Amino acid sequence: MSIELPTADETVRFGQSLGRVLRAGDLVLLAGPLGAGKTTMTRGIAEGMGVSGRVSSPTFVLARVHPAGPDGVPLVHVDAYRLGGDLGQLDDLDLDTELEDAAVVVEWGEGVAERLSADHLVVRMDRRPDDVRVVDLEPHGTWTERAPLVSDQRG
Amino acid sequence: MSRIIMGIESSCDETGVGLVRLAANGTVELLADEVASSVDQHARFGGVVPEVASRAHLEAMVPTVRRAFATAGLSMSAVDAVAVTAGPGLAGALLVGVSAAKAYAAALDVPLYGVNHLAGHIAVDTLQHGPLPEPCLALLVSGGHTQLLRVDDIAGKITEIGSTVDDAAGEAYDKVARLLDLPYPGGPPIDKAAREGDPNAIAFPRGMTGPRDAKFDFSFSGLKTAVARWVEAAQARGEEVPVPDVAASFQEAVADVLTAKAVRAATESGIGTLVISGGVAANSRLSGLAADRCAEAGIELRVPRPRLCTDNGAMIAALGAHVVAAGCAPSPLHLSANPALPVSTVTVS
Repeated sequence: MSIELPTADETVRFGQSLGRVLRAGDLVLLAGPLGAGKTTMTRGIAEGMGVSGRVSSPTFVLARVHPAGPDGVPLVHVDAYRLGGDLGQLDDLDLDTELEDAAVVVEWGEGVAERLSADHLVVRMDRRPDDVRVVDLEPHGTWTERAPLVSDQRG
Repeated sequence: MSRIIMGIESSCDETGVGLVRLAANGTVELLADEVASSVDQHARFGGVVPEVASRAHLEAMVPTVRRAFATAGLSMSAVDAVAVTAGPGLAGALLVGVSAAKAYAAALDVPLYGVNHLAGHIAVDTLQHGPLPEPCLALLVSGGHTQLLRVDDIAGKITEIGSTVDDAAGEAYDKVARLLDLPYPGGPPIDKAAREGDPNAIAFPRGMTGPRDAKFDFSFSGLKTAVARWVEAAQARGEEVPVPDVAASFQEAVADVLTAKAVRAATESGIGTLVISGGVAANSRLSGLAADRCAEAGIELRVPRPRLCTDNGAMIAALGAHVVAAGCAPSPLHLSANPALPVSTVTVS
């Protein structure tokens, strides 16, 4: 099922609904070309999770850790754009955070990050010529049961 | 009495070691500036691998330190203080520099100063243009940072007044270069292609310039998307992409927003000096447009030479010298690296 997001605000809102269902150990891969709205989506996810720190592109720093809010878990925002083709383990990122205690969102991670966990959600984003963003959710493992929760959250 | 300060930088790809002499009157003189880069090794892996960066720093550290002392014609015992980048940067990469600095400080029995990488980019200007007028305004533009900073005291009080809300300016260059099939890093090839192009050929958007947008923040994500859209549309029509025009129009949009906001910030706060530093400061259109607009507004513009603008140890040594001159307390030997160190923390206590 494709979801149409005509504006950046709606991409943020979709991200918020996804962020509200994320928990420790979750892995989300954001796929799509330059300008598809991956960082904008992550900004929504961060808001939905209630984590702190401004979300901006992590391309240069490779990964950024956003500390948890009062009742949540931290968000690790990874960008595999500059990484070599082999992200064998997220441990290779040298992060100062226990990854099983955080939700991990990886931009440009498709084909690189899925082996990190059989349980992951691919959020496929595309930009139509009329600038509307089209999103498809592709659940793997336990996400097959959980993906509908995201739509429930959107209410 | 003059003092010798050693500076160590390892926040990203470059292992840098600088040596400066701090004179009794507070002037800072550059004695050595040695850099080893792991960029070639990353190319071998097809991208940046943090583990590779850390290992490369480890291998390069001692040889780079030795080269710096050889260049300066000094023995290590001449050092009076060691300064090191404590953040921001890649965690594992920073750790190598911090560990090395601690070892040198302990072995030489001299004070250790863990300092801020971003403040170093500003302090480095004093090596070329002399003491900074305070307050001054700094525009920091590189692959990882795009920030507008108010500097009341280079050794202690730096305030962020604006930054990018999404992509850094240098990152937009890299991504647009990829769209145009130009090599990485994207700054130099785009600058070169733009010289043959018309900067007014395509009206690309100026991010964050609407009446309701934050006055001094930046956004380059929409610009990147607009370039992607324009290139795709040309390709869909079966046209050849006019790379020089796209490069020139993109570069104009970046330089326009950066300089307009920096000059406006200086004018509104009555600040008479603007420093532009970081890797993107070497861009010819950015420095050219900044020179025109600063001259018009009666603002003094200072841009360090390209070698000083990119990451190096001299900038950390220079900042260390200003921190020592100001009589700041040294950092403890249990100093740790902080990948997210805010610019308001010049020295880690």
